[in-house]
Amino acid sequence: MEYTELEILITRIREISGFDFSGYARPSLLRRASRYLTNHKMTLDALLVHIGKDGRAVYDLIQDLTVNYSEMFRDADFFVKVRTAVFPYLESYPTLRFWVAGCASGEEAYSLAIFLKEAGFLGRSLIYATDLSNKALTAGREGVFTLGNARTFSENYLAAGGRHSLSDYYHVAYNKAVIVPELRRNIVFSMHDLTGDGVFNEFQFISCRNVMIYFTLELRRKVFRLLYDSLSMLGFLCLGKRETLRYSGLEENFKVIDSALNIYQKIR
Amino acid sequence: MKAAKENGSLSLVLVGGSSGSFTIFEEMLKLVKNPLSFALIFVLHRGKSSTAALPELFKKKTNVFMNEPFHLDPIEANSIYFAYPDYHLLIGSDRRFYYDCSDKDFFSRPSIDATFVSAAVSGIPVKAAMLFSGSSADGAFGMKTLAEKGFPTYVQQPAEAEFSRMPAEALAACDKHQILADGNLFSVINDILQ
Repeated sequence: MEYTELEILITRIREISGFDFSGYARPSLLRRASRYLTNHKMTLDALLVHIGKDGRAVYDLIQDLTVNYSEMFRDADFFVKVRTAVFPYLESYPTLRFWVAGCASGEEAYSLAIFLKEAGFLGRSLIYATDLSNKALTAGREGVFTLGNARTFSENYLAAGGRHSLSDYYHVAYNKAVIVPELRRNIVFSMHDLTGDGVFNEFQFISCRNVMIYFTLELRRKVFRLLYDSLSMLGFLCLGKRETLRYSGLEENFKVIDSALNIYQKIR
Repeated sequence: MKAAKENGSLSLVLVGGSSGSFTIFEEMLKLVKNPLSFALIFVLHRGKSSTAALPELFKKKTNVFMNEPFHLDPIEANSIYFAYPDYHLLIGSDRRFYYDCSDKDFFSRPSIDATFVSAAVSGIPVKAAMLFSGSSADGAFGMKTLAEKGFPTYVQQPAEAEFSRMPAEALAACDKHQILADGNLFSVINDILQ
């Protein structure tokens, strides 16, 4: 697929559904759209016809083009740092609000909940887990993972310095791992579009890891502004390992807590 | 998309490999002479837990600037870049690097196909693309896409590769590649790098 063809697809999706991909980074969108065509053994023309003829098809395509990959305790070193450098600071707050922006099916929100529980302040914490995809949010609310994934997640958990066994936090039912209700109680899953929706609360901690890589430079700036406005003074902002505050226009407003892991604190 | 740098030409030399390629990469870096007229981009399959920073590991081999780029960093000539573990490294038409966390290609992230295909459609000229030893089919599609766009592509002779499958798959997918055999391997690479 070529960029000119991708633009045709973006326009057609917008016409049919109103969903606008124009602020999405083209290289990754092109990769995803090309893979969609390959996996469905379709030409672009066939896809354009397909999404035009029935109501669901275009939304399924949007889901496929936006869905994010996630793991519990992804980047163990990040979670180690959060526990050692960020939690001690947050400990003094009477109530805490966390936001996992672009949460996919909730893996990171559950990881945070587990570490908050182990640190002893899950009870006074509320985690907002938001995503654009309703399908992902539904999966997140259910808190169900395959046992194969649970094995990877367990390894990550131990590498991140988990104090128990990850299996203490899920039950096995019908060959699946189901997160215990206690962890789910403090997580609010809701739909939020980082590119269109505004500030909805004030947070002491925002994790938006590997989400910004999907936006164009211009849209990324707008999303950074939203995250900045949603953070309380001295609140923490966490980005993915290859993302930085560079090119955000907000570099001066943050202190670097860890430059390799991209953890920042709002200072002005 | 707007070009990050309106002036100045940029071309790419792409290098992909997996098991059995590491020593070739090391030897190749010794051939790099300052300054390079292009950006040299290495995609080496690595596990997500790989902590080795390749620029750190290779810094004694050459004085040319090396790094594992961040998202949106501009791609500059006279620089050597390495794909970072657990992300796909994509080349944007605006001469910037982009990352992607979507599905693995042939169980690999970074995948060679992801980088090579994005380079092929980026509009940035590819001076050469090379594919070496490995035990998966990754890279074959990317190399074919580059060759069909008319860019020079080089594949290691499978019989001489430590793991023959990767170069063999590339040759089976497309007959336009030139073959790098032991007899000419480093002399051809040396010519490409000048």
